[in-house]
Amino acid sequence: MKVLSPVAFGLLLTALWWLACGVKGDEIMPTPLDTLYGFVELVESQRLWGDIVASLFRVTWGFLLAAGVGIPLGLVVGWSNRVSVAVNPTIQGLRPISPIAWIPLAIYWFGIGDGAGIFLIFVASFFPITVGTMAAVRGISLVHQRSARNFGVRGLDLFRRVLLPAAMPQIITSLRIALGVAWLVVVAAEMVGMDSGLGYLIMDARNAGARYDLIVATMFVIGAIGIVLDVLIRKLERFDEVRWGYENR
Amino acid sequence: MSRPKVVFEGVSKDFEKDGAPLAVLQDVDLSVGEGEFVCLLGPSGCGKSTLLNIAGGFEAPTRGTVRIDGEPVQGPDARRVFVFQEYGIFPWASVWDNVALGLRHLSSSEQHRIVGETIEMVGLSGFERTYPMELSGGMKQRVEVARALAVSPDVLYMDEPFGALDSLTRLSMRSELIRIWKSRKVTILFVTHDVDESIQLAERVVVFSERPGKIADIVPVDLEHPRDLGSPEYGQIKNRLYGLLGVSHSV
Repeated sequence: MKVLSPVAFGLLLTALWWLACGVKGDEIMPTPLDTLYGFVELVESQRLWGDIVASLFRVTWGFLLAAGVGIPLGLVVGWSNRVSVAVNPTIQGLRPISPIAWIPLAIYWFGIGDGAGIFLIFVASFFPITVGTMAAVRGISLVHQRSARNFGVRGLDLFRRVLLPAAMPQIITSLRIALGVAWLVVVAAEMVGMDSGLGYLIMDARNAGARYDLIVATMFVIGAIGIVLDVLIRKLERFDEVRWGYENR
Repeated sequence: MSRPKVVFEGVSKDFEKDGAPLAVLQDVDLSVGEGEFVCLLGPSGCGKSTLLNIAGGFEAPTRGTVRIDGEPVQGPDARRVFVFQEYGIFPWASVWDNVALGLRHLSSSEQHRIVGETIEMVGLSGFERTYPMELSGGMKQRVEVARALAVSPDVLYMDEPFGALDSLTRLSMRSELIRIWKSRKVTILFVTHDVDESIQLAERVVVFSERPGKIADIVPVDLEHPRDLGSPEYGQIKNRLYGLLGVSHSV
């Protein structure tokens, strides 16, 4: 065998996990089998689907809003030096603030519920998308900029025909990063400030009788959905209009 | 000579280097006639590309002016199109959309006619929906030439356009360029550091000295197309150009 197969590696880790449960010997840490039963219980209780939908709903809307604002803003800030001088310091100043730190304000403004969740996901995805788009526009090659100038492409036409398509491969990469961050943040937000969603499910399982089997089962669900989201967004990279951007990397 | 089309009057260009001005071009005076094919030949870094960028309106001269049809150049203009070495065509657009770039203001039927004709002229029929990524270097350069010709420019600036191609493709691109030049009557300023390329293409070869670039001499090539690369006249011009560049011809 030339490479360790992924299945074999996963089984090895599962065996170690099981072994560790035996060594520790308490009732709290769930074994792989406990986790599987926990997963079945979640599925049968019907509750899992509602929480998945709640989390995905917040991520979808927060992410789409962030893309809708962040991409145009990134294009303008990346292209215009004057706008960049005014706006970029604020963007860079807000960027290092963890989206988690916004939770109290989000709840204060929107209350416990989807509004606060969507706002937090917006904050989490807005900065990677905006900053990624800015960098993409600044990286547009000189010959393409000059071609556009030579043929008199300007104004909205410039954005539509040159800046947006030229930046698109890198924008898609930043969307991918942003969606990953959004999925991390939605769980954290739901653990603290929501009463539904996969993060809330984890907190609820802990508070209602330390059901660690349900907690670990939910963690697996979160991981699986994260992978599916990444696979879905990577499909954007296959379009003819952007494939050029991934060829020479 | 025909009526002057592109006229350089005392064009100089300094770049800033370590806080001190570095002269790249010095007092270039040159008049290119309407419909003329002129090659700018010189060693790398002699400022010939800078001169072309100044003519194209992408850079401003430090001193002097460039006039086209008597008007000083202020910036890029769609009537004078630049063909870049490193593929200025857009990789995100199909061959068709690339060639149509300069025709945005025309009706769609007009666009359709011109784009179709131009694509056929450069021999890319059947590739209209293809993206540049799937084309060879030579085909990409044809797309770029087609994009330029589609707007019926009166001047073409070509900055080592065939530099990235293999030598056989380069030869066939040159003869196609001559064919196109003859049928379109367009003025061409062609930058190259390849002596043979300049003799095969130009009516006049403008030879530049090393930095700071000055015109060392202007060598006319009075040979009919298609040019016989083995003729004694060709050899004489070649010797003269090598002499002007200060390089020995034998290796």
